[in-house]
Amino acid sequence: MSMIEETTGRAEAADDEVERFPGDPDMWLFVVVESLVFTSYFCIYLYSRTQHERAFLEAQSALTMSLGIVDTIVLLTSSWTIACCVQHTNARRYETARWFALATVGLGAVFFVLKVAEWAHLIRDGHTFTSSDFMQHFFFLTSIHAIHLIIGFVVLGVLVRQLSGPHLRAHRTIETCSTYWHTVDLFWVVIFALLYIVR
Amino acid sequence: MKSESGRLRGAKRELWLAWYVTVVFYGMYSVVFFGLSRTQPPGRPWLDPDQTVAWFADRHWGLLIGFGVIFVLGGFSAVALALITHSIRRMSVSPVFAYSYLILYAIAAIPGFMYICVAMTAGVMRPNRAPIAAQWLYDLGFLSFVGTMGVFLIGSLIWMIAVLIDDNRVFPKWFGYLNLVNALTEVVIAPSWIFQRGVLAYNGAIGFWVNVPVFGLYTGVFIYLLRDFIQREDFGTGPLPAPADVWRRARPAVEAVGA
Amino acid sequence: MNPSAEKRLAVALIVVVVVTLIYIVIDRSVDDHGVLGASTVASVAAITLALAKLRIIMREFMDVRHAPKILRTMTDALVIAMGIALLGTYLVGRAIA
Repeated sequence: MSMIEETTGRAEAADDEVERFPGDPDMWLFVVVESLVFTSYFCIYLYSRTQHERAFLEAQSALTMSLGIVDTIVLLTSSWTIACCVQHTNARRYETARWFALATVGLGAVFFVLKVAEWAHLIRDGHTFTSSDFMQHFFFLTSIHAIHLIIGFVVLGVLVRQLSGPHLRAHRTIETCSTYWHTVDLFWVVIFALLYIVR
Repeated sequence: MKSESGRLRGAKRELWLAWYVTVVFYGMYSVVFFGLSRTQPPGRPWLDPDQTVAWFADRHWGLLIGFGVIFVLGGFSAVALALITHSIRRMSVSPVFAYSYLILYAIAAIPGFMYICVAMTAGVMRPNRAPIAAQWLYDLGFLSFVGTMGVFLIGSLIWMIAVLIDDNRVFPKWFGYLNLVNALTEVVIAPSWIFQRGVLAYNGAIGFWVNVPVFGLYTGVFIYLLRDFIQREDFGTGPLPAPADVWRRARPAVEAVGA
Repeated sequence: MNPSAEKRLAVALIVVVVVTLIYIVIDRSVDDHGVLGASTVASVAAITLALAKLRIIMREFMDVRHAPKILRTMTDALVIAMGIALLGTYLVGRAIA
């Protein structure tokens, strides 16, 4: 698709009329495949949990649920800001879209800082990767999620760059980047429920 | 004098030869590691010396014959690597990507593929070797095989970036993302020696049983895509015809609906 | 961005945040004065709520609502598959423990 076709985008339309593919289908394939890989990690955790209930409950009590709630709300809000960014991009309000994109980066950074602080706190209290099976799962799932988050910063960097120059602004690329960012939220939503709430 | 089409056919035949060698190599790899030597699934980490001696004894002939096959035919890995490198060179991206990939995998193949064959053969060839020495060889073999995942993961990332920024449509973009999926599983396995047991150990539910099927799927996919690439290859420098990938049926609908 | 689309996104955010806050209620109802106790009901509820949030995020934030049928079907199938896998593993695991 030529740059001209990509950048003109679609005109604003009534909400329920237009059927369009959000972003690159290839990125959606990534979303599906990575979700299945994560689901296998989750199932292994859940199975281990059910076989060693007492030990898992005991180790789980070291977690602070309210921190998990804050983490979740931060990432949900980041999904909202990036969705707003895409909406404004499609309406060709690029400056507003850019602010929403930067807000997303900020929220991602807040999540990351909270996560690192939580890890530091747990490690100081003697809970590490090898201190218990639950903690092995906890640190593994939160670490692999954090790696996705860090990659997300790179992806958001591409997105912000697209919005920053008038000669760029490929709508498809911007939507594809936002699709990737949403996976950071999608995976966290399940990770939070499994690690902090499931008993 | 050969005609242009005759030369093209000849050049393609060479690529097809490389492709069949690639298929044979990965087939041989699977049979040797999983079937003959039974080093996959891997033995438990942190075995004590007597357990290690028993592990070797249990696999005596499988290890000797299996890795003997690798010592003879392991060079096929170079052909597979060369074919992938050629495909990256065909992309519109800088040759730096192809060279990085080639060097990385060529070097990593020694600790990551050959060394376990050497260590395990040394471990099994003398049944009366001191148990502590056998344990050492066992640890060294598995650590070299598993610990080099970090190198391969960088290779996946290089291939991913090349595919995503390529304008010549050598591989479909979703394969770029599949490289990311594969790389992320390799992140998991690289520090696995920290764990003496559990899901993240290199023989664990996550360390082996999730990551290896993902790698198997990834390998099967890129072998298929290399075949597709050779079919479309025109030995030029511009875009190739669109790949025959799974999204092609959906793509006309995507294009029609618009960006 | 038209105002109704803007409003819809904001409503979606409020809904998923509220669903998240329900977790506090689940958590408090299960624990016995701060000591964690096992609970199938709480766990099943937690997983189900997470799946509901997944669907809302995909439909509203990722704009699957306006996507062609193939994507809508695929994402729904993904949520269902995850649900079956997670709930199935948990319930079967508890049964054989």
